[in-house]
Parts: sequence; structure tokens; C-alpha cells
Amino acid sequence: MQIAVSGGKGGTGKSTVAVNLAVALKKLGTELTFADLDVEAPNDHLLLGVELANEEPVMQFMPRFDYSKCIKCRKCAEVCEEHAIITMRDGTPFLMPNLCSGCRACEIVCPVSGAILEGQRLIGHTYVTKTPYGFTLVTGKLMEGEERSMPLVVAAKKKAQAIREGLLFIDTAAGTGNTVSKAIEFSDLLIAVTEPTPLGIHDTELILELGKLMGIPTWVVINRADLGEKEKVHGLARKYGADVVAEIPYSENIVRSYVEGKPIVLTGYPEAEIFTGLAKKVLESLGGGE
Amino acid sequence: MQIAIASGKGGVGKSTITASLLYLLKDRYSFVAVDADAEAPNLGLLLGVTEWEEEREHIGAKVARINTESCVRCGICYERCPYGCIYIDDDGNYVVNELTCEGCNVCGLVCPVAGTINLEEVRSGIIRKTTTKYGFPLISAQLDVGKPESGKLVTEEKEWASKLMKELNLEHMIVDSAAGIGCQVIASLGGADVAILIAEPTPASLSDVQRAYKVVQHFREPAYLIINKADINPGFRGLHEWAEREGIPILGEIPYDRTIPESMVMLRPVVEAFPNSRASEAIRKIAERIAEEILG
Ligand code: SF4
Ligand code: SF4
Ligand code: SF4
Ligand code: SF4
Repeated sequence: MQIAVSGGKGGTGKSTVAVNLAVALKKLGTELTFADLDVEAPNDHLLLGVELANEEPVMQFMPRFDYSKCIKCRKCAEVCEEHAIITMRDGTPFLMPNLCSGCRACEIVCPVSGAILEGQRLIGHTYVTKTPYGFTLVTGKLMEGEERSMPLVVAAKKKAQAIREGLLFIDTAAGTGNTVSKAIEFSDLLIAVTEPTPLGIHDTELILELGKLMGIPTWVVINRADLGEKEKVHGLARKYGADVVAEIPYSENIVRSYVEGKPIVLTGYPEAEIFTGLAKKVLESLGGGE
Repeated sequence: MQIAIASGKGGVGKSTITASLLYLLKDRYSFVAVDADAEAPNLGLLLGVTEWEEEREHIGAKVARINTESCVRCGICYERCPYGCIYIDDDGNYVVNELTCEGCNVCGLVCPVAGTINLEEVRSGIIRKTTTKYGFPLISAQLDVGKPESGKLVTEEKEWASKLMKELNLEHMIVDSAAGIGCQVIASLGGADVAILIAEPTPASLSDVQRAYKVVQHFREPAYLIINKADINPGFRGLHEWAEREGIPILGEIPYDRTIPESMVMLRPVVEAFPNSRASEAIRKIAERIAEEILG
């Protein structure tokens, strides 16, 4: 089983919902592994109040040229969709490492065996952190200055799949680009966290559209439900056949727990109930979890 | 001059503050505004834009397509796709998931049956231009759902903005950068003369803005910091300590103020909707410092 939590734009409270829901699910006895696939700005560890551990480099292929063998045919440069290889006037290829996505297309087309050698480049890290809540957190973190987050999303997701125990619980990046699709791919349930502001409503439609295109049953959680026009969110959810499963009021307690890195679901505040209720709904829909 | 406003992640109030700064600076300076958050553009909404004067489709993303008729189902493409974007459907056909494909063409190169896999250009989004009711032009983009290459959309937006600057004889380009640190942000910050970073006093936002700052350093641009929701976490000194260490001047601090979300719901800059609120006063001071220290 796999569940993804996403939201059209940043700042909707997606991570807060993800973290609290994961803790609540575990409290109810569900085994799970939590994957933070927001590789450009991974923050779930901060919200969980843990330090990232077990760092492992994510290396990516990059071509190295053996100029004694290269016949300067330019084929590698022509095939590179990232335009990461430039050629001199005489055809000598050069790599611009930042642009390379590691796809190996250049290596595949090079007609001279040994002209392109295996080079490796560090593009980020994965972390596997034991949390005090009884589940493991897998985090992907892209290096600053790297253009492409897709390879890191793929690496971090693989890592999470490899060590997973029970449910795979995924927090994605904001937006609806293809790295978000990659993160939510193969989910049994997508939980879209939204805000009833005009901006939130605009982005909600996009994430619902993505869920529909990917054929994943989608739920909507309305955060800061008392700020704005939540009826519009309900309307959109109906249009996409998605259920609105929870409404979270704007709450100073939630802001405080966010700031302090303590999941609110473990407190006695009334807001804790919302997340526990949501976790129960998730378990029901998944037939008691795994 | 080109100024980029960035935060490392959405949700810290970057666009609301940008909208207010644009509003406050519009009478003294001429500029074009660029909303470079192609995955969740909202500067237009915040400036009350309802209609666009000109729209251009951006064709440029590439995705692979498999011709099921000629495919011999050898599975080589499935094995070799670096991002795992090929799957086998219920009828046993090899199919590309266009919502995750990066368009690298590796599958096409390894497929033994010529012409079976083709890389096709598809629309990746739309770029549009309008003149806001405040008089300055705005360029904004929207990436299509599940498409790669949002950075290229941003690059094209900025090219359009540069052309407008020449045509209309504008002094500045003000770019509201995307969230994250990937290609969109690199495209947003690349070529800027100055970066203004916005963060809130939480460990998460500090971590995000530090990562954005590394991208800024990469371009060797001078940076400034604005602290939003400055009073939500009184014990937290992380932003100040970091800014001091790095020698990043703090342009100002904006208190948490409910008039900000309320102005968002009204789709107006907070300095226009609630000119006397605490947040508006703080933003006005920041605009003054930007005028003095950056725009001159
Ligand atoms: S690995 Fe791919 S992206 Fe990198 S240089 Fe080769 S073809 Fe270009
Ligand atoms: S394809 Fe191979 S031989 Fe041709 S230019 Fe590139 S490295 Fe050299
Ligand atoms: S173009 Fe690249 S990413 Fe897309 S399916 Fe082919 S190999 Fe995979
Ligand atoms: S490599 Fe070509 S022939 Fe083989 S499964 Fe893929 S599309 Fe079909």
C-alpha cells in the first residue's frame, strides 16, 4: 500500500498534515515508512524534530571523454536532450556537468567503444532516519545548484521502497510537475491538502487534475478552512469525484507545534482529534492497512 | 536592473510581499514584473489580473511515445529508461507514462525496431502577458500538469520580459522566483543583479532559504533578507545569526498580521487593502530601503 500527500502550492500545510497523519497512523498500530520526496526543500525531519542520519551519496552517471579514442563525430552532443555536451569547432566534445541528467543517451550512441568512460557525479543525498515515533523517515535532498530533481526523487523513492515496512507514506514537493507525478506514482490514495483562498483553489484544481490523470483515488483536506471560501473547494472536489475528508481550522496551536517541531497529534489539544480521525478514515479505506 | 525575490520554498509569503512591493514602487520606477513560479503562479491573482492580453503556448517539452503496432515487446526500453517511466499495461503493451517521462530519448535509442519509439514535442505550458490595473506589465507562466522543464518556461518568460523592457523603455525587471532550488529557481536567479530572500523564523524556512542562498552565491549576486511573520517564534534567532554570519543585510521584519491572509482573499496587495495595518507599515519601510539601497 502506498499513500501520497500533496498540495498544489507551497505553504498550504501539506507537511504538517503529512507528519501528523503519519504519527497518527503509527499510533493506531499501522506499520509504515515515511518518505520525504520534496527533494528541493525537505523539511519533514524538522517538523518531526529529528536530525537526518545515515547519509548516503546519490551518484549519477556523467560521461567522461577519452580524447585519445574520440573521433569527434559529435553524435553524443547531437543526442543529448539536455544540451549538456558542447563541441568545439573541430568536434571535440565537452561536458557541462550541471546540465547532465545522467541518462546515458550519449554513451549509447557513441560509435567508438571506450571513447565515453563512466564518470560519476554527486547530485544529492538520501537519509534514513529512525524517528522516536516508531517509523523510519527516508529523505531525499538535492544538492544546491543542481538543475534536475527527478533523479533524486527516483533514488529516494527506491531507497524507501527497499527498506519499507508496511505502508509507504509519501510527502511530495509542491506543484504539479513531473517530479510530483513520479513521487505519487503507484499510490493507492492521494491526499491533496488545500486552502480555501483563491490561490489555494486555483492550485487545488491542478492537483485534482493530476490525480485524475494518474487514476489515483483522491481525497481533499482543507487547511485553514475558516479563511476563505471553502464551498468552492467542495465544489471542485465534487467535480473531480474527490471526497473532502477533513477540515482543519486556522489554529495557533498548529502554528506553534509546527514551529517547535512537535507533532500536534501527540498533544492534548483539540486539533489532535482531527488527525486521529483522518488516520482512522485512511485505515478504513485501505481495509485496515497492511 | 534585474531583481529576483526568492525563498527556497513556497508558503512564506513571498508573492504577497512581492505584490505589495510592486504596488509601492510603481509610481517611482518603471518595471516589468515576472511571476516565475510556473508550477503555482499566483502573482497575477494577487494583483487582481483577470484577463491576459497575449498568450503563447510553450511547445518544447518532449515525451516518448511507443507505437504498439510495431513494438515486438522485447522490454529493452522498459529495462533502460533511467527514470522508470515505461510500464506494461493490462494488454501487455509497453507504454510510456507521459506524466513522468523526462524526454531523454534513451528508450528510442535502445529500441531495436526502428521507428517504434518517437520523441514528440508536446505543449509544456503557457506564458502570458498583461498590463496590471496598476499600470506595469506582468508576465506569468503556467506549467501543464505532469510536464517536465519548468525551467525552460521561466527562461522564456524572462526573454519576453527583456524584450518588453526594451520596447517600453523600462528600467527594471522584478522576478518572483519559483519555490525550491531546481531548474526553475536557477532560471529565476540566473542573470539577476540582486536577490532578495524572504524567510520566516522557523527551522524549516531557515533551511530552505539557506539552500536558495547557495544558488544565489553560485551566481555571485548580492543578497538581502526580509523576515516575514517575524513574531511567530520569538525565541528563534537562527535567521539573524545566519544573516550576520553571511553578511546579508536584513531589509526589514514584517509581523504576523491577519490582514495579510485577508488581503489575499480579497486579491489585493495588503498595502493597498489595509494601508494602516502593522504588516503594511513594515512593508512600506522595506520598500523605502529597497528604493534607497538597491534601486537608487
Ligand atoms: S548522460 Fe544524458 S544528459 Fe548527460 S551528457 Fe549524456 S546524453 Fe547528455
Ligand atoms: S559520440 Fe563518441 S566519438 Fe563521437 S564525439 Fe562523442 S565521444 Fe567522440
Ligand atoms: S524518453 Fe527517457 S524518460 Fe521518457 S520513457 Fe524514454 S527513456 Fe524514459
Ligand atoms: S524496446 Fe521497442 S520493441 Fe522493445 S518493448 Fe520497447 S518499444 Fe517495444
